[in-house]
Amino acid sequence: MDGEENVGSTKPVSPDPESFPSLFSYITSKSVAGFDITSSPQGDPVFATAPEAKHGDIHCTTLSTSSPTSPIQMRPHHAHSLSISMPSSPSAFQLEHSAGVLESEIDIPCAIDFQLNHPVTSATFQQQKQAKFHSQPMPVRNFHANTTPEIKFLNPLEHPQRIPRNSRFKDKRYDSFKTWSGKLEKQLSNLRGKPQEIEEIDDAKNTKPEAVPADRFFDALEGPELDKLKESEELVLPEDKKWPFLLRFPVPSFGICLGVSSQAILWKTLATSPSTAFLHISPAVNLVLWCISIALMGIVSSIYALKIIFYFEAVRREYYHPIRVNFFFAPWITCLFLAIGIPPLVATNLHTGLWYVLMAPIFLLELKIYGQWMSGGQRRLSKVANPSNHLSIVGNFVGSLLGASMGLKEGPIFFFAVGLAHYAVLFVTLYQRLPTNETVPRELHPVFFLFVAAPSVACMAWANITGDFDYCSRIAYFLALFLYASLSVRINFFRGFRFSLAWWAYTFPMTGASIATIRYSAEVTHTFTRALSIALTAISTITVATLLGLTLLHAFVRHDLFPNDISIAISGTPSKCTQKHTQSRTNFFLKNQAKSSSPDDRYIEAGPEVQI
Amino acid sequence: METAAVELQIPRQIQVLPTDDHVAAVKSKSRLSMLTCFHAGYFRISLSLCGQALLWKTLIEPTTDAHALRAVVRCLPSAAFLLLWSVAFLTLLALCLLYLVRCVLCFRSVRAEFAHHVGMNYIFAPWISWLLLLQSAPFLRPNTRGYLLLWWLFALPILALDVKVYGQWFTQGKKFLSMVANPTSQITVIGNLVGARAAAEMGWRESAVCMFSLGIAHYLVLFVTLYQRFLGSDSLPSMLRPVFFLFFAAPSMASLAWASISSSFDTCCKMLFFLSLFLFASLVCRPALFKRSMRRFSVAWWAYSFPLSVLALAATEYAQVVKGAVANVLMLILAVLSVVVTLLLMVFTAIRTGDLLPHDDPFILCSFDSNLH
Repeated sequence: MDGEENVGSTKPVSPDPESFPSLFSYITSKSVAGFDITSSPQGDPVFATAPEAKHGDIHCTTLSTSSPTSPIQMRPHHAHSLSISMPSSPSAFQLEHSAGVLESEIDIPCAIDFQLNHPVTSATFQQQKQAKFHSQPMPVRNFHANTTPEIKFLNPLEHPQRIPRNSRFKDKRYDSFKTWSGKLEKQLSNLRGKPQEIEEIDDAKNTKPEAVPADRFFDALEGPELDKLKESEELVLPEDKKWPFLLRFPVPSFGICLGVSSQAILWKTLATSPSTAFLHISPAVNLVLWCISIALMGIVSSIYALKIIFYFEAVRREYYHPIRVNFFFAPWITCLFLAIGIPPLVATNLHTGLWYVLMAPIFLLELKIYGQWMSGGQRRLSKVANPSNHLSIVGNFVGSLLGASMGLKEGPIFFFAVGLAHYAVLFVTLYQRLPTNETVPRELHPVFFLFVAAPSVACMAWANITGDFDYCSRIAYFLALFLYASLSVRINFFRGFRFSLAWWAYTFPMTGASIATIRYSAEVTHTFTRALSIALTAISTITVATLLGLTLLHAFVRHDLFPNDISIAISGTPSKCTQKHTQSRTNFFLKNQAKSSSPDDRYIEAGPEVQI
Repeated sequence: METAAVELQIPRQIQVLPTDDHVAAVKSKSRLSMLTCFHAGYFRISLSLCGQALLWKTLIEPTTDAHALRAVVRCLPSAAFLLLWSVAFLTLLALCLLYLVRCVLCFRSVRAEFAHHVGMNYIFAPWISWLLLLQSAPFLRPNTRGYLLLWWLFALPILALDVKVYGQWFTQGKKFLSMVANPTSQITVIGNLVGARAAAEMGWRESAVCMFSLGIAHYLVLFVTLYQRFLGSDSLPSMLRPVFFLFFAAPSMASLAWASISSSFDTCCKMLFFLSLFLFASLVCRPALFKRSMRRFSVAWWAYSFPLSVLALAATEYAQVVKGAVANVLMLILAVLSVVVTLLLMVFTAIRTGDLLPHDDPFILCSFDSNLH
């Protein structure tokens, strides 16, 4: 799981039983030497080395040029790095790896240069694109330890029909992100009767993508939503191409459903609450919004379901992302919102079984996530705590709110207790802004509005559980109000951020605060509370409308609503410079720990480290 | 030399410090030296047995709920309970005597133990065991003078230790909580809560609330700190992973204590019980966490039993209030689980006594080290 195997291991890769006999390696290396000398612009055959079975989705390898035994490092692929630069020392090819197949990863017809059987286009490509040399990158496609590359090398002319379609070649780069490395797609296309594609090329024995440990996300990404790539990092997918839509569809898209469904609840409360009866809001607004949110939920879920089916590895990477993992709660919270905001016309009494069905996924996800906080390896809370974690807590309170309004007793208390305990932990941790915490954004960002979510929903949940808006609910409500005010007066600092779909998720706390205020004004009927409830409602509605406008703008005018999702495409192994940096950081910690000679002293030594 | 030292993660550097005399002393396997090697971690055994005794007593008690499950339990002969109580009493007595011998003969290592971040929490364990035994005593009613005197006798050391340990957390320079906190620190909290429950049963509400608030306030701090898991705080060796079960022992005990104080299992108690149930589920779903510690039988295994007994106790109280099928089934499952685990541990102890006995004193080297500094 940790990228230990991936990081330049000096242990030699055990040759695959079906790999090149060493004779062929020799032959090919000889030919390489020949090309090296001639330095023809065409094509130096690119030799790829197949990494061991554990490495998966690598699209280019770099043979280090220093020595044959130097570690094989994997560089993320660049489409234009088709500059097929060769390692200067031909001896590098005497490694016992089978040479991979050379496939073109560009969408230029590869009919030319086939006699050399390499991804071609090197010459044409070099002319067309900027060659990017990074210490002799070797663009490779898939690593096929079990292919029969000798065929390729010896009989390059036998596969003229291997002229692939452009789109098919493009797809190959994303294979590592597909479910079962693209095998599912092949199965489906086989079922549909598409012509058999050359299997031996496509079959990759070891395209299992690398697992990306938590540390990698912190090292490679930055920004409040950990979605900006650091300069030293590279991606495993092409940066300049537009990726398949499913790959670009991130899980925070469920934030739209969250935002709209919470609006539906707001307008239902406005219509039914006695304190806002003077506004004469029609229940039709709730009905319309609810129907829209059902439709949105259906669309988003089906798209994401398709992504799970076809690009499971990408989904898995999102799950490992320290911030995105919290958005996996969003679909279930939306379902809960839909159940809470259901118009009276549709249904008045929901079956209690529905509550158990909706809470089960939240319960299971919680067991996993909170367990990780307590005892799971790298994902310690002092390191990964960030405002998005509120999404994992709010689910408890929303569930208990729904359950209590359905008339259940014990279940809502259960989830309220669990949510409260973990909320206390998260609240303290976020307020501390620990130095070891790498994910709390340094500048204000809309994600901070999630702070308001938990107390506002908790206050309503407690009111429903006890049947009365008592002191505990009021305490929670005032806390929510304070946090809201505290963020609103700093509105100036929420500037300069790139719009992202996740922003929709940050609107539901505002809506929640408005609903809580309406509930409070029903208890404490006063002009001020009524004015406050109307003001907050207006703010939240305007915010949602603005977001809607921004979304439409990005969708239809700028066409960048779904940009390439770089957060999931970071390489599992750090690039050399970041590797050194991380290694030196780890060394520093280890050194300090080893230095101390007694248990007590060890704590003193460890003390300042925490401040680092 | 290795087992207990490994268990407590004594750094290797210390192990090469002692002179030849000391090494010879440690290496001698005389009975006396083995007797002095019983560190406070052995009180886990007494904790478990006393917790079991309390569970059995509660199950046997006549209740207002004539539900079939409790009736089945009441069929158990009370002789079985008496036997268990006697075994618990004798074990606790024996362990206390052994520890006294250790204090007398090997005071330096006791002091070193007290300074250790894991060892210091187990100094609470004997007092907790005595209090549990007191509560489960078949012949002593809570409203008698004897009970009161004994309560004072056992609660005062807990209060004194509180002042020492909790005071250290926020005042002393070396041992700040973020570094020292580990799951065994919850034993200090449990000590306060057990004292609170015993006091509430006597009718002494103010003392009960006092100890309860001490326990809960520090539990809040500890809970947050443990969840945060600071970089330097992974100081618990993998052999001691069973102590993670204490995570759900503390809220269960809190729920029981509050139920005694408020004389009813109200919403607050329910919330604490549910929290402990959630933490139990969370730990049980992670068997990989305990794999390494399960390779070899050691006294750390006894850490499994006490939290299960306390959880079962809380489930019993819950089932009594919420009379439903689910609650009763839950109570039955947890009670059976705790009994089975305790029995298994007793069997293991009988079979592999050699593994359990201490072959060395893990703190004697710490004491050398403290002398050198």
